Amino acid sequence: MKLVADRLDRISPSLTIAMTAKARALKAAGKDVIGLSAGEPDFDTPRNIKDAAIAAIERGETKYTDVAGTLELRKAVCARFKADHGVDFTPEEILVATGGKQVIFDALLATIGPGDEAIIPAPCWVSYPDIVELAEGKPVIVPCGENQGFKMRPEQLEAAVTPRTKWLILNNPSNPTGAAYTGEELKALTEVLLRHPDVWVFTDDIYNKLAYDGFRPPTVLEVEPRLRDRTVTMNGCSKAYAMTGWRIGYAAAPVPLIKAMDKLQSQSTSNTSSVSQAAAVEALSGPQDSIDVMKEAYQRRRDLVVEMLNAAPGLRCHKPEGAFYVFPSMQGCVGKTTAGGKRIETDEDFCTALLEEAGVACVHGAAFMFPGHFRISYATSDAVLTEACGRIQKFCAGLR
Amino acid sequence: MPALAKRLDEFQVSASVVMTIKGRELAAKGVKVISLASGEPDFPTPLHAIEAAYRAAREGDTKYPPQDGTRALKEAVQRKFKRDNDLDYALDEIMVTNGGKQSIFNALMATCDPGDEVVIPAPYWISYADMAKVAGARPVPVNCPQNNGFKLRPEDLDAAITPCTKWVMLNFPNNPTGAACSRAEMQALAEVLLHHPHVWVMTDDMYEHLVYDGFEFCTIAEVEPRLRDRTLTVNGASKTYAMTGWRVGFCGGPRPLIKGMVNMQGQATSGVSTVGQAAAAAALDGPQDLVRERAEEYRKRRDLVVEMLNAAPGVNCHKPEGAFYVFPNIAGCLGKTSTGGRRIETDTDFALALLEEKHVAAVQGAAYGMSPYIRISYATDTTSLREACARIQEFCKGLA
Repeated sequence: MKLVADRLDRISPSLTIAMTAKARALKAAGKDVIGLSAGEPDFDTPRNIKDAAIAAIERGETKYTDVAGTLELRKAVCARFKADHGVDFTPEEILVATGGKQVIFDALLATIGPGDEAIIPAPCWVSYPDIVELAEGKPVIVPCGENQGFKMRPEQLEAAVTPRTKWLILNNPSNPTGAAYTGEELKALTEVLLRHPDVWVFTDDIYNKLAYDGFRPPTVLEVEPRLRDRTVTMNGCSKAYAMTGWRIGYAAAPVPLIKAMDKLQSQSTSNTSSVSQAAAVEALSGPQDSIDVMKEAYQRRRDLVVEMLNAAPGLRCHKPEGAFYVFPSMQGCVGKTTAGGKRIETDEDFCTALLEEAGVACVHGAAFMFPGHFRISYATSDAVLTEACGRIQKFCAGLR
Repeated sequence: MPALAKRLDEFQVSASVVMTIKGRELAAKGVKVISLASGEPDFPTPLHAIEAAYRAAREGDTKYPPQDGTRALKEAVQRKFKRDNDLDYALDEIMVTNGGKQSIFNALMATCDPGDEVVIPAPYWISYADMAKVAGARPVPVNCPQNNGFKLRPEDLDAAITPCTKWVMLNFPNNPTGAACSRAEMQALAEVLLHHPHVWVMTDDMYEHLVYDGFEFCTIAEVEPRLRDRTLTVNGASKTYAMTGWRVGFCGGPRPLIKGMVNMQGQATSGVSTVGQAAAAAALDGPQDLVRERAEEYRKRRDLVVEMLNAAPGVNCHKPEGAFYVFPNIAGCLGKTSTGGRRIETDTDFALALLEEKHVAAVQGAAYGMSPYIRISYATDTTSLREACARIQEFCKGLA
């Protein structure tokens, strides 16, 4: 009898992890490698948040909580949604999970059955299609290229909807492109959804506090309240408050779906850490100025990286609205040979050679279902970024 | 609301949660409810674990953890398996999960296809059966009767195994009965399993350190090393170290299984809270005398509860070897009517009437696949236990 279940065979092996493992091996072998592949802030969790965690431990908040999260945290989530987006939720409409990832897992496993379709604009975080596959559904990937700012157009959405469509999954701002929808662009998509009352929307807003040049990305329910009874709004503490290790994500959704997600989570992990939940209460309810400090640094780094990459021969880098990623095209490098004698045919060849010859670790576009590009995370210091982009320029200049 | 996925129709919110919530609702109305429904230690987390958590938070150990656990915790787990169970696991044969629950969830989801069977000794923790169903497998309960001390008989195990059996679950000391297997009893089960080489064994050893009167705990991979390459040994910090809220479980097993499980967890939640992992590592490596002191306290409570329950008319309470539960038979109460006029036909009727009329929350045996019993958790202070048992006595005396 074979050991592994069919559902696991459907998941593609993680290309991001493969690239990270390669970088780690080179580093271990003593090579000077700059990692620009991690999707997490380089900032530490703000002090007031850590102190709140410690205070909670001292109060003995180390017992099971409700599966959906403490009432206090769910209330804090409601207040945050109200303050940030002007949308009212009640604590019954909130579920807290082990990272945003578990919110996606809960929502999709609770609703998708064999043959159900989920529309996913690409480039995308590959966990969306993978989790859809795990749930025995069918990911419908809609390519959204640089010429459209990596954003889906309403006519593309309209064309992708079928009678089997269960979900549209949006990620605003996006990993890996940093692209974010304006209110108008989002409105155009919701117009399409209003014509298809059986389609649900999952909006992953985890990066929505990280947008630049004064832009504030709106969320679906802000622009179209009539979608309220079929929208899951996901957010979390990881990116905005530099809390990746604490594992706190949350969702607002209609009560029947929250109940179903709660039921599934009660059988897979139960509540997320009680200590982390207390930290999250402080993150969401306490002073928000640490976000502005981080944002200022990210914006400066984005501008630095975009400028330096656009100066590299063969690269073209779109300047995105948010998150901490850029997703430059490397198509101008295809067909060339590196100084080390490697021929570049694909984005994977490019990233592998860049890692081996220039000591810079990035993730190739195919890992986000969009070849011809690569992802750079600029959540690292200006000095390191300058050095890394300098190496990339030199690498590209050496292509023949 | 769209139709939910079929996998969700298959199971219910756990009865212990329902009873806990009902108890809480009554308490909110000002009724003095004593809850014996919840399965968590009333002790605080050990101080050295707490201090390790403070350090982790303060020193910035707050970034994404590896999917399979931090190296520090995995090494502590490796030492624990060696020290307590004489089991050698390499680091890539160990993984850290969000509670022991997720170890079990990962294993079943990573290996079960429709048509597979999971043999579960009954009475059992309801989540085993529910998780098997979520994974598309069929739970096959095997009765462990009270006259055999609620332990699994080798001949019953043998009879339950078919060509479709993928897993046999073991959980001794057991939730809900407290029953634990001696080495000879475990050896007899191992003999059966050796005859069925296609069957995998999952042992949930969460209550390992809660055994009394000099009873010696044993786990199957240690008792029968020839089963090691198809056994998953699950354990965690929750019950031993009173760390339920921190959500840290772990397991050891053969590499291909662990690899599939890590893959599964990578899609569901990713890693476990870094602060929780630091606390768990300190708990595993720190002084263990607190564990022994607490076990002695639990033993006193068990003796008190067993004695008082056996003095209640119609109740017959077996004295178990471990955990913090007793599972009294209430057959002698059936067919009677309570002073409040409620007719007691089932253990569910009994538990509901007891809660409504005497304000003691316990969970009906039906929730664990064996009737007519109730589960009583004695993880609460002696004064409350004495008062609760007196109320149960009074309730039973009032039955006519």
